Amino acid sequence: MIPPLVRYLNRVNFRTTKPLLQVGERTMALEITDANFEQEVLQSDKPVLVDFWAAWCGPCLAIAPMIDELATEMEGTAKVGKVDIDNNPTVAVNYGIRAIPTLLIFNNGEVAEQLVGGTVRKGDLADKLNNLAGVTA
Amino acid sequence: MMRQDPSEKAMNRMEKFVDAYCNKSGTFKHPNPDVTEAVVKGLAHHVDTLGRPLCPCRFYPDKEEEIKHRTWICACDDMQIYKYCHCLLFVNEEGLPITEYLPEDHEGRVMHGLVKDSVPDKGRPLRDKAEEREVERRERPS
Repeated sequence: MIPPLVRYLNRVNFRTTKPLLQVGERTMALEITDANFEQEVLQSDKPVLVDFWAAWCGPCLAIAPMIDELATEMEGTAKVGKVDIDNNPTVAVNYGIRAIPTLLIFNNGEVAEQLVGGTVRKGDLADKLNNLAGVTA
Repeated sequence: MMRQDPSEKAMNRMEKFVDAYCNKSGTFKHPNPDVTEAVVKGLAHHVDTLGRPLCPCRFYPDKEEEIKHRTWICACDDMQIYKYCHCLLFVNEEGLPITEYLPEDHEGRVMHGLVKDSVPDKGRPLRDKAEEREVERRERPS
């Protein structure tokens, strides 16, 4: 069985896809910080996917378009946000982040799932968020 | 907070290093040059600020403490022992990280599955240090 990330990388033509995010560029995903983490994530009444990333991390930038698409598609059902670990170290320390990207899915203020390196496809992430939100296909 | 671009000197140093290490290790740069550029910038930034090319694809609670160890100084222990680059800086011709030599429970193997090394006669100069690396991974997760 081909692992999900390999399937994803194989689908992407890296020579023709749109340029990766640049430092400081705004994304569709919610910007989560040390300051708003409590309110936006822990107190959220919807499931929240948090992507821990850094500007100078190649694999983080490679999955960024997928995370942005997911943020748009899940609007109203779940939140999708990003934590820039260089600017928000407290959250990263609190959740034991090491390799990036690390994706954490929160539900009712608790970590429901941890995925390191963008291991699942957008559809799998959407399924997990829909399940936690109680949305049936 | 906007990040300051790394110095030209550090960028040149890291670009030359990446080209040389690809040849030496039998690996390739990522097919998307933006991925490589991002990582090279991160390495060069660490050269400017820390004096060492610390891997930019990890979070370190204390970077000054981390550079006392050589674990994540590029080319990192995982690269020199297993020929595996989580950062996608040194990959195979398809742009995938080589995972063939990783322990089965290594996050890279779990994440990417089995990716064979097409140039097995090059690289892995520290291959005999795998046992020590696994002890460190358990005792000093970083």
